[in-house]
Amino acid sequence: MSLWVDKYRPRTLDALHYHKELSERLASLAASGDFPHMLFYGPSGGGKKTRIACTLRELFGPGVEKLKIDQRVFETPSKRKLDVNIVQSNFHIEITPSDVGIYDRVVIQEILKEIAQTQQVDLSAKQRFKVVIINEADSLSRDAQAALRRTMEKYMSNMRIILCANSTSKLIAPIKSRCLLMRVAAPSEVEMEAALRHVAKEEKFDLPDNACEEIIKDSGGNLRKALLVLEALKMQSFTRFISNINIAKPDWESYCGKVAELIIQKQTPDQLYELLSHCIPPTVVLKTIADRVVDMVDESLKGDIMHWAAFYEVRMRIGSKKIFHLEAWVIKVMSLQKHMYYGVDLTGVGFETVANVQQFIMEVLDGGIVQIVGGAICGRNMKGRFVAEL
Amino acid sequence: MPKKAAPASKSRVSKGSTKKRARDESSDESTASSSESEKPKKKPRPSASTSKSTAAAKKPPPKQKDDVINDPPKKKWIPPTRSGPAAPGSKEVPAGHPNALAGLAFVFTGELSAFSREEATELAKRFGGRVTGAPSGKTSYVVVGEGAGPKKLADIKRLGLATLDEDGFLNLIATREGKLDAKAQEKVRKEEEKLRRDAEEMAKAERLQAKAAAKKSGGKVVPASSQLWTTKYAPQALKDICGNKGIVEKLQAWLHDWSKNAKSGFKKPGPNATGVYRAVLLSGPPGIGKTSSAHVVAKLEGYTPIELNASDSRSKKLVENSTNIMNSSLDGWMHGADGQKTTVAGIEITDKSVLIMDEVDGMSAGDRGGVGALNALIKKTKIPIICIANDRRVPKLKPLQHTCFGMPFKKPEINVVRSRLMTIAVREKLKITPTVMDQLVQGANGDMRQVLNMMSTWKLSKDAMDFDEGKQLSLANEKHTIMTPYTVLDKLLGPYSFSKTSRETLNDKIEYYFHDHAFMPLFMQENYLKPTPNRLRGMVGPELDMKLLELMDKAATSISDGDLVDALIHGGQQWGLMPLHAVHSTVVPASYMYGQGTGWSGSGSGHAFPSWLGNNSKRGKLQRQLNDVQIRMRLKVSGDRNEIRQSYVPAVFSHIVTPLIGKGVDEVDDVISRMDEYYLSKDDWDTIVEIGVGDFSQDVVMKKIPTAAKTALTKKYNAKEHPIPFHKSTDLGLKATKKIAKGEVPDLEDVFDQEEGDEDADDTPDPVDDDLSKDKLIKGKGAPKARAKTATSSKPKAQGKAKMHSA
Repeated sequence: MSLWVDKYRPRTLDALHYHKELSERLASLAASGDFPHMLFYGPSGGGKKTRIACTLRELFGPGVEKLKIDQRVFETPSKRKLDVNIVQSNFHIEITPSDVGIYDRVVIQEILKEIAQTQQVDLSAKQRFKVVIINEADSLSRDAQAALRRTMEKYMSNMRIILCANSTSKLIAPIKSRCLLMRVAAPSEVEMEAALRHVAKEEKFDLPDNACEEIIKDSGGNLRKALLVLEALKMQSFTRFISNINIAKPDWESYCGKVAELIIQKQTPDQLYELLSHCIPPTVVLKTIADRVVDMVDESLKGDIMHWAAFYEVRMRIGSKKIFHLEAWVIKVMSLQKHMYYGVDLTGVGFETVANVQQFIMEVLDGGIVQIVGGAICGRNMKGRFVAEL
Repeated sequence: MPKKAAPASKSRVSKGSTKKRARDESSDESTASSSESEKPKKKPRPSASTSKSTAAAKKPPPKQKDDVINDPPKKKWIPPTRSGPAAPGSKEVPAGHPNALAGLAFVFTGELSAFSREEATELAKRFGGRVTGAPSGKTSYVVVGEGAGPKKLADIKRLGLATLDEDGFLNLIATREGKLDAKAQEKVRKEEEKLRRDAEEMAKAERLQAKAAAKKSGGKVVPASSQLWTTKYAPQALKDICGNKGIVEKLQAWLHDWSKNAKSGFKKPGPNATGVYRAVLLSGPPGIGKTSSAHVVAKLEGYTPIELNASDSRSKKLVENSTNIMNSSLDGWMHGADGQKTTVAGIEITDKSVLIMDEVDGMSAGDRGGVGALNALIKKTKIPIICIANDRRVPKLKPLQHTCFGMPFKKPEINVVRSRLMTIAVREKLKITPTVMDQLVQGANGDMRQVLNMMSTWKLSKDAMDFDEGKQLSLANEKHTIMTPYTVLDKLLGPYSFSKTSRETLNDKIEYYFHDHAFMPLFMQENYLKPTPNRLRGMVGPELDMKLLELMDKAATSISDGDLVDALIHGGQQWGLMPLHAVHSTVVPASYMYGQGTGWSGSGSGHAFPSWLGNNSKRGKLQRQLNDVQIRMRLKVSGDRNEIRQSYVPAVFSHIVTPLIGKGVDEVDDVISRMDEYYLSKDDWDTIVEIGVGDFSQDVVMKKIPTAAKTALTKKYNAKEHPIPFHKSTDLGLKATKKIAKGEVPDLEDVFDQEEGDEDADDTPDPVDDDLSKDKLIKGKGAPKARAKTATSSKPKAQGKAKMHSA
């Protein structure tokens, strides 16, 4: 027994439930024989991979579903062995270069070169080219992206590339301009309901309206999640859905909720490592906790908290040790909350940090004699305001 | 400077303080950095400052003092050393007579406005004064500052002592003629007399020795004048050894009784409880005479010392061979018949030999097993062994602790060292005053050998040394050692590191980071929340809470900034940014959070090791396992590994783990069939359990699953055949197909240039002959980067072209 989400995955473009126009366009592209490089992007659980698989089937026929997995070994200069997993059929190959971190450039160059140098041997194949699918293209390093751009033009006769990414913002412009962009948006609520009801019908049970609504609300446009939740719910309550259903959160989500509560109650930010070390991406952690925190705090703080969450998320992407930024954000939230509690407005104070650091340096250069002028003024203002408010 | 200030000071304490404030103002801009640098100037312009001060007396007090004045410290008495001077560096030190304060004893109490306690103490010493801790009948003046201790004030009253305020103290320095009264002069004279006598004695002993040596070696001796001072003045008798008298005597007694104890089989402890030991371990900081003591004692007891130190190789094999512990060869026996004695390191062993193993804690890398072999030797030695180490507590020396009697040497007291060194100075005709000598000894941290070396170097150029020169010399000879991150944390997060009295500059603090630049940021991040910040002093209630969080916020933001810099350093190889990284990651957080804390008690007890390292490697491991799970499920599932973790793991969990919790063994077959459906192995099952958090964390879950179910799962899984999606490369023992070469990363800018060049190259028809000079890809040899690029990019291009032609 497979999970429903895999069991009822559409296999052909016609069977797809939503984004009909997109499906039609893909079908006509596959039929035209002038198939371009493509970049599929959109939120996870929106059906990118499913559409790619359907398109491949349209291009090459059912043979493309016969997958095999291969593991290649690369050796780094420091003698560490890197395993690269390759999923392939006779007509396409799929790689996830971001598995190997900073060595993704070499892996891409090697594998693409190899594919490009061999022509299709199967004379009965529908197309002369092979397709290379590159997963998680938005986490490719800049080197790897640079290495990709030339290859994409050079080997057009033997190979097409399909990139799959969550967002296009991390991809360099030359790559984007060489691809046909395919945005796979998250399904709307109506579309999701249709998909859920389809599965319910196939499984021969009745999906109550309120359950359907709850699932859709909980999943946030992620159809994969919605289907998994549907199945979990069905397992829990076997034959019937109870009127007030309670959707069990995944372990990490409920843990994030706990951390959020701790932050509001002012605890030290120790709990964060647990999530990060268990492979929850730091940006997801930040986003989830921020959502929870915002639910719990006063209206006036919500804007600030989200502002700082965005601020530190960018830093997290640029920096190397994610926990540092996550911790800085948590302390920022605690501080905001505490000041709110005592009725002191801190909005905008943090924007001066850069200036403060400069002043600090000035201070120490003077032999530690002159005090931080900015800080002192700041403190006095605050104290003044504080006294006034009392 | 008019004389009135000094005697009148007692009655003018309050007046002086207003004046002082005014003076702060006047000299604020001029002496921002350090007033000490201006000391050598001829005239300190005291008159100018007084006139200015009266003129400026009515001006409002300077801004920085606001906080100090506004903060009423009345409720709680705060120890004065912590708060620091209000306007440090605001007063000049007058250039008084070098012996201006000679014969006077000072006590400082309370907080001076322009000097920290240490500075003021140093000042008094610099001008020949004496400083004591508590007022007594012998105290000449008590210098009273703000917030003086109540007990000291009471003592002053009781003893009827003269008091001075800060200005009075400075006046005293400026005006007093450094004349000693008759009694003091007499004392100085006596001291000098004694030193001269000692020096003469020393010279006599030297001559005798030289004569004896000349007799022994037949006239060929190194003249004393060409010897190092450290050898020349190495202690020859017990009385020459400074300090540690008790220990040295014990050592002598042990050596004296050794042969007796050996006869009784080391059974009787004796009066010092040393009788059961065949060896002793002397330990203590360098330069305090451990080796010298060992040699002197051996000589006195009539033993011939055989010294092995770190410059001799002392591996297990060598120790065993050279000392013949195992007695496995006929060497000793054969030679014995010859009348030749067994040797150690080429020196004959007699009944009266003592083996001195110097620097045993230096037995490292090359001396593998050396300590063990030494220990084996000690257990059956027939001659006494003296081991010497700097720190006997290091784990490496653990075996020795049971077989050796520990004799810890302490730093000798300063007056003992001083008198000995002064004698040497007189003997060498180097003019040096006792205060300067104290300074040197303190600067060298009690290391006599270093002081001697410093003095002998100084003697080469000059015959006298004054206070400032001494200070500079000891500063220049300060030992630079690499500190551990724990010590650095102590320094940076300690309660005084950023206080106003701290004289460390930003550069000094940045320097701390460079003691271990890879670890310091991590250590700081781990520990910066631990101290109670000094910046919160005097705050209570909501103000405290808010300020604390504000400080934490600033520190954390700075650490976050630091990480961005780190990414630039390691990502872009911009190592020039390291000082900036030091400031952001280490110095700034410490500047906000420094204070009293759990960690600040001696050397590094309370600081935690960065948990980032452990967590990061755990994350790496789980990430790899998750990759395995993902690729196995890939045949069925389209999601990437993040999707697997966030959606599938919780879903699959309820199919393959939860049933075991509820029904146990009955469900095992079902679980296995579900796992096979997704090609999951038992390892992957473990991963799925391990990767959970919170209520689904491994510990919680594994406790809930009955042991029977666990074993049944393992047994049944192993008993069956399972579908596998692919063979892991490690299972097949695949060799790496491609080695990733180092250092051919293309420069991105370069790529863009390259690209444009390529476009042109493609438009022109390919020349049949491959003339390298015409190829645009191959640039002049002057551009190494471009060459590296061509190496990587031209090859596939050429092959690609070939392909196109063939197609």
